[in-house]
Amino acid sequence: MVDFGILLQIVFWGVYAGCIYILLATGLNLIFGVMKIVNFAHGEFLMIGAYITATIFFITGINPYAIILLSMLALIAIGAVVERLCFRPILGTGKLNEIFLSIGLIYIIQNGAAIIWGDKWQSIKSPYQEISVPVGPLNIPIDYIIIMVVTTAILCGLYLFLKRTRTGREMRATSQNRKGAMLVGINVERIDILSFGIGCAIAAAAGTLWVVSGQVFNPYMGSIPAIKAFAIIILGGLGSIPGAIIGGLLYGIAENGAAYYFGGIWKDAISFIILIIVLVIRPTGLFGESGD
Amino acid sequence: MNLNRTEWVRYGTIGMIGIAVVAPFLSSNLYLLNILTLMLIFIIFSSAWNLLAYSGQGSLGHAAFFGIGAYASTLIAAKSGISPYVTLFLGAAVAAFIGIFIGLTCVRLKEWFLAMVTFGFAIIVQTITVSLLTPITGGWDGIASPRLMSPEIPGYQLIEYYSILVITIGCILFIYYIMKSRIGLAFSAIRENELEARAAGVDPVKYRLLAFALSAYLAGIAGALEIHHIGYITPEIFGVDLSFWPVTYVIFGGLSSCQKGLWLFRTRSRRGGLPGKTNGAEQK
Repeated sequence: MVDFGILLQIVFWGVYAGCIYILLATGLNLIFGVMKIVNFAHGEFLMIGAYITATIFFITGINPYAIILLSMLALIAIGAVVERLCFRPILGTGKLNEIFLSIGLIYIIQNGAAIIWGDKWQSIKSPYQEISVPVGPLNIPIDYIIIMVVTTAILCGLYLFLKRTRTGREMRATSQNRKGAMLVGINVERIDILSFGIGCAIAAAAGTLWVVSGQVFNPYMGSIPAIKAFAIIILGGLGSIPGAIIGGLLYGIAENGAAYYFGGIWKDAISFIILIIVLVIRPTGLFGESGD
Repeated sequence: MNLNRTEWVRYGTIGMIGIAVVAPFLSSNLYLLNILTLMLIFIIFSSAWNLLAYSGQGSLGHAAFFGIGAYASTLIAAKSGISPYVTLFLGAAVAAFIGIFIGLTCVRLKEWFLAMVTFGFAIIVQTITVSLLTPITGGWDGIASPRLMSPEIPGYQLIEYYSILVITIGCILFIYYIMKSRIGLAFSAIRENELEARAAGVDPVKYRLLAFALSAYLAGIAGALEIHHIGYITPEIFGVDLSFWPVTYVIFGGLSSCQKGLWLFRTRSRRGGLPGKTNGAEQK
């Protein structure tokens, strides 16, 4: 009954959807690792990134894959402002405050975007839309391959940045022990702003890749992917980037499998069913170490 | 006049109820009456959320209980022909039952973990409603729900409004006495420090489940009231907005004030419903 070609297709689509989740979850995880806060409004940065890309594309018409860098740069700036104005004042207060603040941000950013760009569904066309590559029994649009390559490149870049540069080492130090990092002379507030900005930039990259691959978008598209990304980092263990990658792939594949076998409506529910099962068995997530 | 804070709050509460009683006579605008009715319903809903938060559990999926109460009450009323005024309590009982089940999976979880799991339940319940249960729930199209009062009765909106006002005051009084009782003390003990609560002989699992059940019950009442008031139900009721609104209302009213005295808390949560409610009604 299980057709190998269909299975391959599900896995392939899953990896493609997983790329978006991985990028979102990685950014969220980076922010969580350094600042120990959770930003439920992360998907709104994905949405802003998508709109910036689309706007530049509509005005100039240059290759949307090139705009990804501009979009990321813009989101570093926006992320820094949001961090400074919204998240810095509540650092170290109750954990519920982060949830409340993010919910407020979700509404403000969504409605702001709806005022600026309108709330209609839009889409942009990729220049490579027509091209596809035959791989085995499948015909793979080249856009999807580009997306996987770009995602891998971003993750490798982040890895090198965290391991090889001084700032990256400072970031890891802050994430391991904030007080200790302060004691050895690291400006943790600068690291906060930077990691928040980078997290947002990665979300913008995810948003850009999402719209360039031909998906429709509107100002409200970000909330569900962001909450799923958060479910992914809980699944993988808070603060664990390998966990985010494995969780993202798992979610992408499980969602597409569920959509194929049970119908499209189960797409969202399946991710939460997985999350609940994992949390009931292992309350700290698959790769998490401690509960708090 | 030299009033201390408690007295201010007491007179404020009486004043609020007074305003709620005379409000329909100040204007004959039916749209305003509709908003006032929805306001009352959301006061119940936000207070229900608040009760769960009082026991230290912040839920992001209260729309699940709101919707289950609404669907259960609608189906019971439609199938049996019993008045919605009776079935809304039965529907809420279904919500409470499912609340206990959801609570069971959440007892070991805290903060974000809890928030995510409750949020997930709202989505799962919505999915089940539109897939497995489509034959009885009508899927995405929804189904008509029996009205609280038949529209043929003259001035039925006013009767609806006052009956909902009575139910709202009843729910708020119920929450107030729960918070004042040993149960309420146990809730806040668990919220403040679970280990110490356990040392003092409070069983956290039992009280958490109780908080889930009570909160789900009240949210179910609110959901059933809203749907019987509007007369139509769709799975949109499980949407993200309905999970987030009570959170924003309660924060506006002052979640942090819960240590400062229950009177204050109660009236604040009452007022917390006010501003957002208008917003909720406009989007309907």
